[in-house]
Amino acid sequence: MKLRMKRIFAGLAALAVAALIWLPCLHFFFSRPVSNFRQAQGLSPKAREFAARHLQLWTDPALRDAELKKMRVSNAEWDFMGRSYLVWSLANMSLRDPASKPLYLRTMDQIIDETLQLEKQEGMYFFLMPYAKDRPYLAQPAHSLFLDGEITLMLASRRMVEEKTEYKPLLTERVNAIVGRFQKSPKLLLESYPDECWMFDHCVALDAIKMADCLDGSDHSELIRDWIAMAKQKLVDPKTGILISSFEADGTPMAGPEGSSIWMVAHSLQLLDEDFARDQYQRARKELGAVTLGFGYAHEWPETWKGEANIDSGPIIPVFDISAGSSGMAFIGASSFGDDKYLTSLAATLDFAGFPSRTGGRLKYCASNQVGDAALLYAATLGPLWEKVKTGARP
Amino acid sequence: MKIFSGKKPAIFQRAEFLSARDMLQRAAAISVMFLLAHLAGFREYTGILNGTIGSLALGWNLSAFLAVIYIVFYLAFVILTPVLVLAAMMLMCWQHFRRNKGSCPGK
Repeated sequence: MKLRMKRIFAGLAALAVAALIWLPCLHFFFSRPVSNFRQAQGLSPKAREFAARHLQLWTDPALRDAELKKMRVSNAEWDFMGRSYLVWSLANMSLRDPASKPLYLRTMDQIIDETLQLEKQEGMYFFLMPYAKDRPYLAQPAHSLFLDGEITLMLASRRMVEEKTEYKPLLTERVNAIVGRFQKSPKLLLESYPDECWMFDHCVALDAIKMADCLDGSDHSELIRDWIAMAKQKLVDPKTGILISSFEADGTPMAGPEGSSIWMVAHSLQLLDEDFARDQYQRARKELGAVTLGFGYAHEWPETWKGEANIDSGPIIPVFDISAGSSGMAFIGASSFGDDKYLTSLAATLDFAGFPSRTGGRLKYCASNQVGDAALLYAATLGPLWEKVKTGARP
Repeated sequence: MKIFSGKKPAIFQRAEFLSARDMLQRAAAISVMFLLAHLAGFREYTGILNGTIGSLALGWNLSAFLAVIYIVFYLAFVILTPVLVLAAMMLMCWQHFRRNKGSCPGK
């Protein structure tokens, strides 16, 4: 009996020592240099693999249909956002890899045309979650800033890469409609769902307006300035200083600061107010970003805010409070602000727990989906488009 | 430690709990189970982690079940298996050291 206890104790001690050796080393097997994910010039190996997979989806209708159906069962928004992120990625890729520009432009046009066609044919509710129909929009006729903002940014991004005359009136029409609604809104807040407004959608829409200004010589800088001033004053969580993610049409907060929103918001703000953007990223990084044993991830809420897992946060992994949604979007934040250390640790987690699947040079993450992978592709390629707008360069 | 004997491979013989052989047997069992789950294509169902159904044909419950099986064996394979192997190696080294020390003349 004594011998048995001695053996068990020795076994447990060996296991404890082995765990102490192995766990801190585990991330070395998944960590790659940041250039594997994102490069200053050209396309990183990962961006090429992601892109190959997405381009395949847009050349194989059956494959695309299967992917989109799986996502639409959970959330019709993902179908739409997967298109947006891919178009924005392809715009950046066209600027990074001019040799492949014709292919990227063709794919962008295909996505934009199909999206506009679906919006026209099925109506705006096609890309919204079912509760959009539960009650009427306060502002009539009903419009969703979620759809209008992202479509406008798709059109503007395409034109920033290379002018397409057919898209010019479509962009002007969307921009004028959004600006008109801003002017009619006493609080400068527009609905994405009935009496539900989102920070993410406002920032994306303002980016699109800024891009249209660059393209067509219009000037909405006053609107952008007023909106940023209003947001700083009324839409910031007092405890963390982070912009809240959603609010009612009168500005009453709905949700607090959220990781699934703020990382993209900080990136979007780079076009609107560089200093405010960096401030928001740094606050989000401090409150929501985390690295354990070399693996990076992000929480959905700061410690000071209690929220429940939802469709945006994804399931929350207990103990570490890891949000799949926030961790995925954190790539965009880290990439935008050159936070290479955090980006490398996030990429290590992605390769560790994202279940990569490679076939013929194409990469997808099984734990992700088309919209998740498209957002990652965007994180791996973003930069040149924003830079072009900031320098005022036209196509 | 003798892993393979003349008649039946020692690795398949029942080992004492938490002995080096026991740990190696557990590590091997986890590896085989993970390999089977991987070859069966269960990785494709892990989209459940972000709230996406793994397969419309199989439905939510079965997709989630297959995803959980895959994730459990994957984590066991990546985290537990190396720890078991390392611990077994440590025990073997320790036993080897003690044997040598015990048989050393003059001790």
